[in-house]
Amino acid sequence: MTLEILKAMIKEEWRLHTSLIGVRLFAFFPLLIFFICFIASFFLPYFRSIITTSQMFLYAHYLLILFGVRIGAFGLFGKEVMNRRFGQASLIAYSSRTFPLSERRLFLNFFVKDIIYYLFLWLIPIILGFLIATPFIGINTVSAFFACGTLFLSFLLGLSIVFFLSTLYAHSSKFLILLLVVIGITVLIFSKNLPFDIKTLVIPYSIFYQITFKKILLITLLIIVPAALSLFFIKVDYPERKKQYKNSLIDISNKIRFTVLAHYVAKDFLDLKRSEGGVGKIIFQFLFPVALTWMFLSIFSELIPSVKAIMIFSIFIGIVSSSIYNMLTAFDSFNSYMFLPVTVSTIIKSKLISFLIFNIISFVILIIASISMNQLFYFLPALFSFITISFYSLSMTVYFAGLHPSTFLYNLKIFSQYIVAVGPLLFIFTIASIINPFFMLISPVLILPSLYILKKSYKKWDNWQPLGF
Amino acid sequence: MDNVLEMINLTKKFGDLTAVNNVSFSVKKGELFGLLGPNGSGKTTMIKMLTGQIKPNKGSIKVLDLDVLKNPIKIREKVGIIPEQETPPSFLTAQEYLEFVAKIRKISNLEEICDKWFKLLKFEDQRNALCKDLSRGTRQKLMFAQAFLHKPQLVFIDEPLINLDPIIQRTLKDFLLDYINHGNTIFFSTHVLDIAEEICTQIGILDKGVLLHIGSIQELKKTKQHLESFFLKLVKDGEP
Repeated sequence: MTLEILKAMIKEEWRLHTSLIGVRLFAFFPLLIFFICFIASFFLPYFRSIITTSQMFLYAHYLLILFGVRIGAFGLFGKEVMNRRFGQASLIAYSSRTFPLSERRLFLNFFVKDIIYYLFLWLIPIILGFLIATPFIGINTVSAFFACGTLFLSFLLGLSIVFFLSTLYAHSSKFLILLLVVIGITVLIFSKNLPFDIKTLVIPYSIFYQITFKKILLITLLIIVPAALSLFFIKVDYPERKKQYKNSLIDISNKIRFTVLAHYVAKDFLDLKRSEGGVGKIIFQFLFPVALTWMFLSIFSELIPSVKAIMIFSIFIGIVSSSIYNMLTAFDSFNSYMFLPVTVSTIIKSKLISFLIFNIISFVILIIASISMNQLFYFLPALFSFITISFYSLSMTVYFAGLHPSTFLYNLKIFSQYIVAVGPLLFIFTIASIINPFFMLISPVLILPSLYILKKSYKKWDNWQPLGF
Repeated sequence: MDNVLEMINLTKKFGDLTAVNNVSFSVKKGELFGLLGPNGSGKTTMIKMLTGQIKPNKGSIKVLDLDVLKNPIKIREKVGIIPEQETPPSFLTAQEYLEFVAKIRKISNLEEICDKWFKLLKFEDQRNALCKDLSRGTRQKLMFAQAFLHKPQLVFIDEPLINLDPIIQRTLKDFLLDYINHGNTIFFSTHVLDIAEEICTQIGILDKGVLLHIGSIQELKKTKQHLESFFLKLVKDGEP
């Protein structure tokens, strides 16, 4: 890795974001995250009657693994992740043809740069917010400080594992899918009869409670070996599978002609299918985190019997499913439609239809999860909770960020508004689900205000003027 | 002859920069109007305003008797636009892209129209290739085709023939001349003066957002001046 390239890439990323959002609004984003986390930490004591501090730490470690998983799928996306995030901007990462540098080296720099960015944008502010709040909430600051270290290890573990899996996927998608299915089935079958303490599976959490040389060695190997293998085998250049494709737009449009805007929806499907990584995007950005959470909740539900795991799962899947919208908008820039008789609201509506179709997957997962967790009794409240959260947070995303969620949500003002609109609801839903899952049966009343917000969003974004000449 | 396009006191500012400054002129039906100017003179901004893609800070625009500010979508239904920078979506094939645009524009007899364009611009062998795999020139051909699919009365073209080989350039020049002979109008912006001199009936010269000249090519030819020397003198000295 060349330090100059890394520095230049960091500068480039900074300028890219600040040119879209403004220096102040972007620069203060980590401060906002710090502030939110600091305030949120004051709510932790209220959970103590339901779950212990130790269980809270367990969840925190798991969430950090998940955070690493969400951003670690670079091995799969390769160059495309940059393309999708930044459009066709001329970036250093594209310059292997003009610079005497290999694509592998440029990509390694890009990867490290992104880790540094996520650290400063999210991870450090989250950890500091919690750490500074600890003296006020009755958590030992020294042990909280130690937890920050193990939480960071959790993040690196998630990152490293998914980086490795996504590199595997780039070489053989079939092998990876088979491997994941085998692991999933094994865990589900043997989770109830494990010959060891279940908590030791989350190694950084286990280190938090008892640090041993063996555990340190194990976590070091688990982080370094997959990451090193991924970098060694990383596939930056995807071979062209074929040059000619079957023209399927009209066929797909005809199959889904029950939807208005069928041709836009068909385009979304083709974008997703034909872009690099293909189905891998859905696997790594949606199915893998969902499956991981499912497994986590299945395994650990026995530790917290008062909490109905399916209810927590429904909240989680509601939030994650709303991120499908981000994925759908990442391929399209409205600039490609500006010269056609198309409004922004038409494109938003078409993305919502695609979103609804993709969410059939979430619905099926929820059914299977309720059966496998043996909590079918709570399926209806879980379903209502999932639908309401998914739809409400989606309507807020559309209102605040329109067709640019992956960029605009880094705007300090927009993100604060989004958090204020969605955060309290998630908190209330979580508490209500824990107290009595059947409270969630009244949650769909929020669908009406969500529809109203969507209607307002259409008007707002149709009047939006893009920047530039 | 009727005006198909009229603008009065058109002004567009981006922060401190005035991209288009108080420009007024009109274009008549059946003309091939060339908007000329150096890089950054405001040509693209003007086309975006004329087609309702961006709003002016001041001024009014009428296109095909419609107020552009009030009816931007209706304008884009009626006209064709070839933007300077946009390329077709990466993951549709060339044919799918034309079908997609045809669906948006509610055009039937898709196959016949697509075939015509693939043949005319000689890229039939590329019709099943993804747009991201096409060369720049082929993408430009595709953008050309999408703008004419619905046979619009007025077409806006931003830098029409860059990236194209001489054979296709000739084909398209002939096509554009034939198109205006059928009573249609073309409004294009370029800084390639040879092309403008060869095919335009009217020209406007824009520099730093200000309209320096408007007139017919015939009048210019009568003064025995070449467009290039006329343009250079005008842009350098502010007078021909």
